[in-house]
Amino acid sequence: MKRAGDGEEAPGQNASAGQRKSDQSDGDNSGCDLGKADMQNEDNNPGIRREIRSKYRELIQSVQQNREDMLSPSNNKLTEVLEEANKLFKDVRQPREAALDAQLLVVTTDLGKEKASQLAAEGAAFDPTAFTEHLLSYMGLNRLNDGEDEQPIGAAIGYLPPDAWHKVAQRAESCFRAAPSFHYMMGSFHAEPPPPKQRMERQRKPPSKEVKRIMPTQLKKMEGSHQEATEKEVERILGYLKTYYQDDPTSPISYYEFVIDPKSFSRTVENIFHTSFLVRDGLARMYFDNYKLPCIAPVEEGEVEAGGSSIRKQCIVSISPKLWKELIEAYDIRNTLIQPSNAQPE
Amino acid sequence: MTQRKRTSNTQSSSQSKRTSGPAATQEEDDDQTFTQPSTTQVQRGMEKLTPAQVDQKTAEVVQFFLVKDQKKIPVRRADLVKHVVKEYRNIYPEIMKRAARIFDQVFGLKMIEIDAKNHMYILINKLETVEGASPITNPTNPKMGMLFVILSVIFMKGGVVGENVIWKTLKNLKVDVGEKHEEFGDVKKVVTDEFVRQRYLEYVRIPHTEPIEHEFHWGQRAEVEVSKSKILAFMGELHEQDPQSWSQQYQEAHSSSSTQPSTSSQR
Repeated sequence: MKRAGDGEEAPGQNASAGQRKSDQSDGDNSGCDLGKADMQNEDNNPGIRREIRSKYRELIQSVQQNREDMLSPSNNKLTEVLEEANKLFKDVRQPREAALDAQLLVVTTDLGKEKASQLAAEGAAFDPTAFTEHLLSYMGLNRLNDGEDEQPIGAAIGYLPPDAWHKVAQRAESCFRAAPSFHYMMGSFHAEPPPPKQRMERQRKPPSKEVKRIMPTQLKKMEGSHQEATEKEVERILGYLKTYYQDDPTSPISYYEFVIDPKSFSRTVENIFHTSFLVRDGLARMYFDNYKLPCIAPVEEGEVEAGGSSIRKQCIVSISPKLWKELIEAYDIRNTLIQPSNAQPE
Repeated sequence: MTQRKRTSNTQSSSQSKRTSGPAATQEEDDDQTFTQPSTTQVQRGMEKLTPAQVDQKTAEVVQFFLVKDQKKIPVRRADLVKHVVKEYRNIYPEIMKRAARIFDQVFGLKMIEIDAKNHMYILINKLETVEGASPITNPTNPKMGMLFVILSVIFMKGGVVGENVIWKTLKNLKVDVGEKHEEFGDVKKVVTDEFVRQRYLEYVRIPHTEPIEHEFHWGQRAEVEVSKSKILAFMGELHEQDPQSWSQQYQEAHSSSSTQPSTSSQR
């Protein structure tokens, strides 16, 4: 009540005194300074307004956070908060600040009410912490560590026996006039849970199976294509090149005859692409024969190292459908030397 | 008895609705449209029925109560009328009177309306539990132990307690609200939902708190079912202290030992 009285007269008093804090950085309100200041200026200074509001908020927050602390009868924190608020209220000018002050008052009143109810309890006070201590013993707490050091109040170390809560429940039964619960002798059948389960399974299973069917085939295709496929194809072509060379080592293998598939331009392009890997890796070499036509031959085992030291040359093989047709005619290519991989070779 | 005409009107309309409208939307309606029939209406209704029909309906109500009581959820009048009493609603008061008599005389239970506003009923044991030797050793429900602790703390703290006090107390007893307890499962749900629905506890928001805080009161069921003087006696036992030394609690426990549900529902 003292607080309310103070609050009412504060603004009037303030107007005459023109009291205000000169040092804003000083968080402590005791650092107040008396000084004549332009009232108008002070009222409209947003910095000061903001500071007052933030201080109120801090105060409200601290009250809410330390609720339990403040309720403890052993300290005077509630009074301290109210005194602090009284100091702040001297500088209150605007409705917003006054609203915060009112809010703080609500919070502190609530605390005051609770504190008062504690006081009203004549006779022995009830301490929940002591209660839990006694109850733990009742429950048969097995105290592992009796040492009083580093044992926080209330949080006893040790473990409870598995029937601890049953023991309390049993004791509680005599305090409850609960109707004994009724049960069917043969048990009751649970009508509800099963049907939804079945429905769920039926709805969910078919799509999951389809997903499973699709997934493996997709994966196989993924594995078969791309990099590995290129490697396999390159090796396969090397195989062809070696067999043709071994059939007749003396006659040179014409590059175009080797690479061109007269039935498919795209196959031809693919062959050129794959053959280029052979050349790059030094497994095949290209040269011009007497007629200045490109020829290809596998590099033999012993030659590989020698080939490695020789100077590398790069060249670009270009081909167009028109050129492809001309080449087929010029070389008179009827069959492809490299069988398409997916077609069964005869 | 000016209500009579209106009563019969609403009844016939709600009956016709029952046959047509979807069941779900009606739950709320039922309670509002259901008006306690007058004595003359009941008399007239009883004349149209055979005693066997009335007995049958009463038995159904009794069974409904017993099954609902397994989970300790109070029975709402609206549910009772909708699912059990149905077309016998015009003799509802008579059926309830008979059911209460059966509970009283056959089962040794007492049917109590704990919430006069929402018309909720519970059953409590009429018979005093004999100290020590219990003829049947019921399998104890550990949750009742926890409930007992909470109710005790609320009572000893003067009827209202902030939720933090409860959580702290439980934590000291190795029940952490934030963690799943092996016996209680989701502790917070059991305390703030199950116990509240059973009307053992009230979980009320404290105004003007940021972040939101709640406080616990005794629920309507606890007020009629749980003996404060016995709790106090247990406290004395635990603390090795005379229960009378908590003079206020002692006063409260012994003034309200006659358990009047009306006082609790007013709060």
